[in-house]
Amino acid sequence: MPLIIWGFSKGATGIERDLVHQLDGAFIIVGSVFNGFLVTYITMNFLWVHIPFLIMLVAGDVVAGEGAAGTFRITLTRRISRFQILIAKLIATYIYTIILITFFVLMSLGLGSLWLGIGDLVVFDKGILILPQEMVWMRFALAFLFATYVMIVVATLCFMFSSMVNNGIGPIIGAMAIIIIGLAIANIPIDIFEKISPYIFTSYFDIWQKAFFDPIPWRDIGNDAIVLTIFTLVFIIISIVQFIRKDILT
Amino acid sequence: MSEVILSIKNLSKSFGKRKVVDSLSFEIREGEIFGFLGPNGAGKSTAIRSMLSLIKPDDGDIVIFNKSVRKFKNSALCGVGALVERPDFYEYLSAFRNLSLLAKMDNISQNRIDEVLKIVGLSERRADKVKTFSQGMKQRLGIAQALLSNPKLLILDEPTNGLDPRGMKEVRDLIRKLAQEGITILISSHLLHEVEQVCTTMAIINLGKLVKIGSVHNLLNETDTFITEIKAEPIEKTRIVLTSLEYISNIIESDGMFKVIIANKNLKQLTRDLVKADIDVSAIIPRTSLEDYFLSLTGDSI
Repeated sequence: MPLIIWGFSKGATGIERDLVHQLDGAFIIVGSVFNGFLVTYITMNFLWVHIPFLIMLVAGDVVAGEGAAGTFRITLTRRISRFQILIAKLIATYIYTIILITFFVLMSLGLGSLWLGIGDLVVFDKGILILPQEMVWMRFALAFLFATYVMIVVATLCFMFSSMVNNGIGPIIGAMAIIIIGLAIANIPIDIFEKISPYIFTSYFDIWQKAFFDPIPWRDIGNDAIVLTIFTLVFIIISIVQFIRKDILT
Repeated sequence: MSEVILSIKNLSKSFGKRKVVDSLSFEIREGEIFGFLGPNGAGKSTAIRSMLSLIKPDDGDIVIFNKSVRKFKNSALCGVGALVERPDFYEYLSAFRNLSLLAKMDNISQNRIDEVLKIVGLSERRADKVKTFSQGMKQRLGIAQALLSNPKLLILDEPTNGLDPRGMKEVRDLIRKLAQEGITILISSHLLHEVEQVCTTMAIINLGKLVKIGSVHNLLNETDTFITEIKAEPIEKTRIVLTSLEYISNIIESDGMFKVIIANKNLKQLTRDLVKADIDVSAIIPRTSLEDYFLSLTGDSI
């Protein structure tokens, strides 16, 4: 992140030219549209692949890694139940996810606004939308809240795979493949994909972007959150059933 | 007679089409050092993992302290300490920290950690990371974690595996010491001399089935002259005579030596019959090793 922010601070004339070009004729632009907010908004696109990957590295290994290391032979013979151990690991995974997003917020929004300053935010919602500076903090707070929720779904998906196997690599590859394929289905405008799209959780991954719409589509956000919650619960239930029934052979 | 504290009833477990444990039943009584013996792949670890609820059996039940492990896992395992195969800890944590994590799971006071570290002789190394430990020390730490909950029954799966002779002796001495303190111990092993040296009772399993069970003393007595080596000439004639004797079985010839299974009472008769057949007998050596007995029971060559 510091590298990207430093890069923006040295000039991003190409992006700025494109932005200003679209506004040309409608507005008179004084100064630069680039500020910490815009850089954060742009880097939030890391939430599609990069951040999920960092989450999966941990979520994929959290149960499977213990299986591979053989430590379950000791922990699962204690008085504590498998359910308790799994839930503890799930909570630990969520804490890591929240910490990672918080770190991302600090590095993007925190560092970006300190380094590049703040101002109005230019975003795209069926056209150009300029959000006044005083409104932007709240919008980012909402966006990161929604993003955290989406990342928790990603973490739970990978955690589910992790509870099934004894190798940390498999869950990462499996979850990553599902997300990439899911995002392709959700975003490629093909008839068959559009029919499938409402039933796959990746179609609701853009929930954080809705925090920058005007007005904020609360009903859509609510519906997306319900779908994501259902998927999360299904992943958790599968994890629990799988782990409780699992034979510890390593 | 002392109380039965572990009872296995018709335990069966398959992996795919392969039946690893097949209707296994036996009991362990209070105060015993019970040897659970079998060759590699006999089903010992699967049975032990089933006892500890690490594996779900297909059939049968395991009752520990009068409670079914299947139905009441937590309360059944309440008085059980276990070390299954090699002890794998969080290597980047100290011995104390590893035990502390486990103690928290069992609601055990931190004072007990120091006690068990003292019992296994690791007090001086309590603050050292486990990755700096030798295999023998890790094994002792493994036994320490098994002792954390003050168990009445200690289950040790291949506790001397991977140890050098000194480490093996240390672990054996520790097991004897724990037994003297009144802990009932189940030790699985494929090393017969280990069971011979440490255990009071033993069960032999092979291909998932119980082959023999009894006190080590009685089983050793049973083995007297069970397998006998015969060195005699001419070899061809000896072979013919041995084959003709009804009280001999399993004749195996190698390097001019015969190995046969013969009942104790027939040993003198064997000598007489060989001499009568004009055979020069150089040696008749009764072998009393538990190893031979074990091999004969498990169907391997003698």
